[in-house]
Formats: sequence, C-alpha cells, structure tokens
Amino acid sequence: MSENKEFVCDSLIIGSGIAGMQAALDIGDAGYNVIMVEKSPSIGGKMISLSKVFPTLDCASCITTPKMAASSHHPRVKAFTYSEVEKIEKTNEGFEAEIIKKPRFVIESECISCKKCEESCPVHLEDEFEFGLGVKKAISIPFTNAIPQLPVLDESKCIRCAACARVCPKDCIDYLQKPEKIKIKAKTIILATGYEITPMTAKKEYGGGRLINVISSLQAERLLAPHGPYGKVLRPSDGKIPDSIAYVQCAGSRDESIGIPYCSRVCCMYAVKQAMLLSGSLPLSEITIYYMDIRAFGKGYEQFYNQARAMGINFVKAKVAKITEDQEHNVILRIDKQEEGSVPMEVKHDMVVLSQGLLPSNKNFFGLNIEKNEYDFVASSKPDFSPALTSTEGVFTAGTACGPKDIPDTIMEAGSAAMEAVNYLKSVKI
Amino acid sequence: MKVNPNFLKKVKKYGAFDISKCFNCGNCTAVCPLSAEDASFPRKMIRYAQVGAQKEIESSLDPWLCYYCGECSDTCPRQAYPGEFMMTLRRYLIAKYDITGISGFFYRFPWIQNILVAGIFAFSLGAFAVYKGDFQELAAKIELAFPVYVTLAIAAYVFTFYRKTILDKAKKILISFDFSNIKETLIHGLTQKNFSGCSDTDRTRWIAHLLVMSGYTLTLVISNLHLLEPLKKHYGISDFATFLVFYAAFAILAGGFIMMYRRAKKKAQSSSFSHSTDWLFVVMLFLIGFTTAVVHISNMILGPQDPRVEMLYKINIAVEVAWIIIIVPFTKWIHIFFRPMAVYLRNLKKEEAQGKLFSMPIPGLK
Repeated sequence: MSENKEFVCDSLIIGSGIAGMQAALDIGDAGYNVIMVEKSPSIGGKMISLSKVFPTLDCASCITTPKMAASSHHPRVKAFTYSEVEKIEKTNEGFEAEIIKKPRFVIESECISCKKCEESCPVHLEDEFEFGLGVKKAISIPFTNAIPQLPVLDESKCIRCAACARVCPKDCIDYLQKPEKIKIKAKTIILATGYEITPMTAKKEYGGGRLINVISSLQAERLLAPHGPYGKVLRPSDGKIPDSIAYVQCAGSRDESIGIPYCSRVCCMYAVKQAMLLSGSLPLSEITIYYMDIRAFGKGYEQFYNQARAMGINFVKAKVAKITEDQEHNVILRIDKQEEGSVPMEVKHDMVVLSQGLLPSNKNFFGLNIEKNEYDFVASSKPDFSPALTSTEGVFTAGTACGPKDIPDTIMEAGSAAMEAVNYLKSVKI
Repeated sequence: MKVNPNFLKKVKKYGAFDISKCFNCGNCTAVCPLSAEDASFPRKMIRYAQVGAQKEIESSLDPWLCYYCGECSDTCPRQAYPGEFMMTLRRYLIAKYDITGISGFFYRFPWIQNILVAGIFAFSLGAFAVYKGDFQELAAKIELAFPVYVTLAIAAYVFTFYRKTILDKAKKILISFDFSNIKETLIHGLTQKNFSGCSDTDRTRWIAHLLVMSGYTLTLVISNLHLLEPLKKHYGISDFATFLVFYAAFAILAGGFIMMYRRAKKKAQSSSFSHSTDWLFVVMLFLIGFTTAVVHISNMILGPQDPRVEMLYKINIAVEVAWIIIIVPFTKWIHIFFRPMAVYLRNLKKEEAQGKLFSMPIPGLK
C-alpha cells in the first residue's frame, strides 16, 4: 500500500448514485467542497443501468448522464471511484475517513480512453453492469457512458498476456499498482449507500436462482435498455423472442418467510413500467403480472397502472407459490387465482421476471454510531419533520440507504439532506 | 350464506394460530401438494373462517384431506400458519361432530381430561387390586365390552360426519358402490397414502404414523378378540401371538418415540404446535404398546402363575380401560375413520356430479 494522501472537504458523500450526485451538486452549488466516494468504477449508481423511469417513461440514462457529467465537472465536487470506505471516526473537528482506492492497473492521469486495451484483451467475462447477461473483457471500461472513462483490469481473471500493455499508445498499463490509502477530513457525512435487490437465491420455491429463464428485475431493465446486452428482448436459455412473459410480484419483499416483511415500494411500478416497455418492443407477446395488490401510490402512478391495464397487460391477483421449469426451460408457475371456484393451477411462460425487493446495501456504516431500523436501513432521527437527519450529529442520509423509495422521492430527499448539511456547515463555522 | 361473527373466536379455542394476519394471497393453496381441483385448501377455509361462514366449514371435507406437511406454513408470507389452522379446524370439527359435546369440553379444558384419564386408570387399578375372583375372566369380559362401546361411539361420529357433509346439503342419502372408490378408500385408510403427497423430505413422519397405526390396530384386534390370556397360557418365543405382540409393541414404541421426539424438538411445522391433548394421545398410545409388551415378556419369563405377571397385566388392562373410555370417543382418535371417509365422500361428490350414484331421497327432508 502506498503512502497516505490526505484531503479536506466540507462534506463527504458515501455513494454516488442519484442521491449522492444530487446532494453533491446541491452542496457544491451552495459554495462548499464535496468529496464523493464510490465503490464501483463509475459514478451513477443503479439508476444509470435502468431502462426508463416511471411514470413518465423518460429515458433513465438521459436523466442520469447529465447529473453524472455535472457532478464530475463541478469545481467543488471531487469523486473517488473504485474506492471503499474503510472506517469513519468522529473527531473534534468533524469526521476523519479512511478510504482504500483499489488499483485499476491503469495510470489514470495518462489514459486517453481509447479502448485499445479492451479490444486486444482475449479474456471474456460476465459483465456485471449487464447483471450477467452480457460479456466484457478482463480489462474494460465499465460501460459506454461511465465516468470516469477509465478501464479497469480484473486482476483475478487476467492471464497476464500483456496484450493490452503492448497496444496501449500511452503505455499506461501498470500491472504493479497497489491499493492506495487515502485520508479524508470532513465536517459532515452524507450516507447515500443505496440498495441491493433481494438475491435470486432468497426463496427456494422460486428455483433459488437455478432456473435460467427466471431473471432478476435489474436484468430485465438491461434487456429493455436501448444500449442493453442483446439490443432486443431475448430469453437467456436459447435466445428465443419470448411470446409470454410473466412478472412475479413480491418476490423478495412482503414475505415474512424470508425475513423481509416490508413493502419495497417500487416493485409494482417498475413491473408495470417494464410490462409497458415490453409490450412496446414485443407487441405480439402476452404479458402477465401476478400480484398480491398493486400499490400505485405516487403522483401519476394510478393513471400509469390504469394505462397498463388498458394496453392489454394481464393483471392476475395471485401470489406465485412455486416456480419450476420444463425440459425446454419454459417456466411453470403454480398459483391459486382468487376467484369463485378457483383451483390451484399451473401456468407456463417463456420467461419470468422476479420483482425483487430492496435491501440495504450497507449495514455497518463504517464504524459510525448510526441507529438502524429493524431491517438495517439508516433510521431517521426525526422521520416526520427532517427525514435526512440521523442519530449522529453531522451525519445525514438520503435515498434508499434509509428505506426503499422511488427516484423522485430519492432526489427530493437528497436535496433535503444537502440543505441540512449546508445549514449544519453554516452553524459550525470554524 | 349465513355468517357467524363470533366463529373465529370459537375456533381459536382449539389451537394457537393467528389467521387474522392472512391477507389472502393464495400462496398456501398454490404451494400445497395435496390441494387439487376438487379440494382447494387452505385459503378457502381461512377465508370462510375470517368471514364467519361456519356452515361452509362444518360441511367441508377439506380439513381431512390435509396431511399437514407444513409447506404452507413454511412459505406463508404473513406467517399466519395456515397448516396449524387446518389442524385446529380438525380439532374443532371433531368437537362439533361429537353429539355428546364432551370432545369440545376436553379440547378447551385439557387438564380435566388428564385428570379423568389418571382417575379412571387409578380407579380401575384399585378395583382390580381388590378383586378376588379370576382376573383372566374379568379381563375377558372387559375386553368384550370394548368393541360395543367403541362401535357406538364411532357410529355416532360417522353418522354426524355424513349428515353434516352430505345429507344436509344433498337432502338425500347418497351412496357410492363404485369399486375403484371403495378400493381407494381402503388403500388410504390402510396406508395413509396422502402422506406421500406431502413434501418428499418428510418420509419419517409417514413411516412413524404408519407404524403407530398398524401397531395400534393390531393391539386393538388382539385385545378385542381377546387373543391373549397371559394368566392362563405360558407363551413361548415361537408362538404366533408372541410375534403379533412383538410387532405391535415395536411398531407403537418406535413410531410413538419418533412422534414424541418430533413434538419435543419441534423441527417440522406439523410438530411445532402440540396441543396438550396431542401429548396425552401419544403418551397413552406409547403406554399401551409398552405395557402390552411388558406383560407378554414377563409371562414368557416368569410363567402365567407368577403374581407379578398378574400385577403387570392389571396395569395393562387399566391403561386400556382409560384409553377406551376417554381417548377413543372424545379425542382425535376418530380421525382414523374421518380421513378415509373424506376420501370416499370426495369421490362420491365427483360421482354425483357425473350422475352415476345410488341416491335415496328422504321423505320429509327438503
């Protein structure tokens, strides 16, 4: 590990998803210096991988990329990507954070993002940006609109053939890079650590992740994204265009049997949205949503849901109990329709999307003494008046780090957290 | 449909569960391996109970077609324990179908049942102890009285079951003489085949149940036909009666042990919510198997004249007396008949729909 570098800022933001970026921009605009720390190689968070957003059906990357560009070019915002926060300590002057900047094995200041290394690399890997659907190289820029446009070399998969080093015009491949330890002193912290979706393995009745044509909701987002892995909607097992697609709602939330009793708030709406997009890209396909109740609570959501019904998307009130597959990997759902004289039945679909719930991405808060709620999300200390406040003074929170919520709510909360942070910075002026 | 708003409160007295948590997603019915086209449960039963449709539940066969594998309870998103609810319904229905009302009383006040069983056991043992005559003769008379008493109890139950599920709805006597139906009913009664429909991971439960059932039935045959005379004959190891007793004892002890172990460990859903009457049931079963075996072995070793054999035999008969008087007519014992009957009546309803059934209208019933 190389020698310690030290940085000082007013506000340290953990996470650079839509919540982190919005808070960074707002605090930066107010005249304070901000550092964002992001564990993945690009800023943008989960939102940059989405296809469109509900209920307006705006293109998600068209909203996210301007924010990414703005925050990366902002004079008072600095981002450390591919960096993990080790620990944060509260001191008399504020907070002291220790972060580890992981090696990209590329000299960042030299790289001109020409992608020659990526083209020459002979090793193909599962692309985590496409949630396993697409393929990337062992050295590659994470995705087209990633910021920064720097390649990352996967040390564990690289075969050390030096093909990339030979073609690099700037000679900036450095196989000997080491992780860097960085110290950051900040007066306030904003936790915008975001969420993970419930793992595919969470419910063994749903195949436990073994059924190839049962895909996650984020995989479905990628299939539907304009720059997605296949360029069109195909099912994973054989590349067939699926004629019937089903959505299984509450596949990872509102389910006490897997320990996640809360509602994840977004699954109904993203399923409705994806169903609408699907019926646009596959007009001949049958799309069915199996639900317990549709929770269309936000502004314009109910109209959005009604519009989906009017478009011919089938809504079936039934909790899917079991998912299996036949020899052709068609997916079989076992349900009990709740109608007069209903009987348990099996229905077959070409492809099934699990509408998974939202789990907190970070549960330990880097050693900070932060109160959690019973499901490990950050607890607001004043949930009714100042939702961005946490139990520790100077630490604020925004977005899905403090509970499942949709994008508009996340952005509002990020603005609120920024406002609280700025007020705090003013009050503790040193 | 008539609803009884207090129905749920009534049922709750028969077991620990909270179906008010249920939001009717239908997961239980869809996940159930036994739920089928003509028997869709447990969701409907829960819904009926929530709205208080007492008559619908009391005329339903579904509770008897559930073998409590517990998959519904395991996967219930609300942890409302639908499997335990079905079990509770079976207790409620036994109480409801008992014309004397004593079963219901025992279910609600299990300690009274425990005291009565202990009391009858102690009383008979005391009476046997002071009895001066030939105890073998007395035992023969007692065992002769058993079948009469048991038959009366069963007949009352079976008739009420039939009346509630068929007669009250159809308003006529319906009987199926279909060979395949009778065959299926017998197979279910003898093998409890439905257990195999439950999750394949839980074979032990089926085997334990089958052991206990076969062992118990054998004991019943042995005692009711008065096959054993341990105070008159000296049995050897090669006697056929010895073989019967040993099998019955082994089956009851092994099966009973597995059942008690599972109830104590609470590993499976089906054994996590023992009602205290369930405990009395398995413990008494266990005692019957145990005492019968002990009497037989001591007879083989000590000979029929030994006073110790007579002592043990008196204990054995006293246990049987308590069992026959309290357990058989007023507990879940009757499920031996209700389970296969439910299979028969379910097929009968199917045949009725096809119109190939013997039916006899009852004058005056409309």
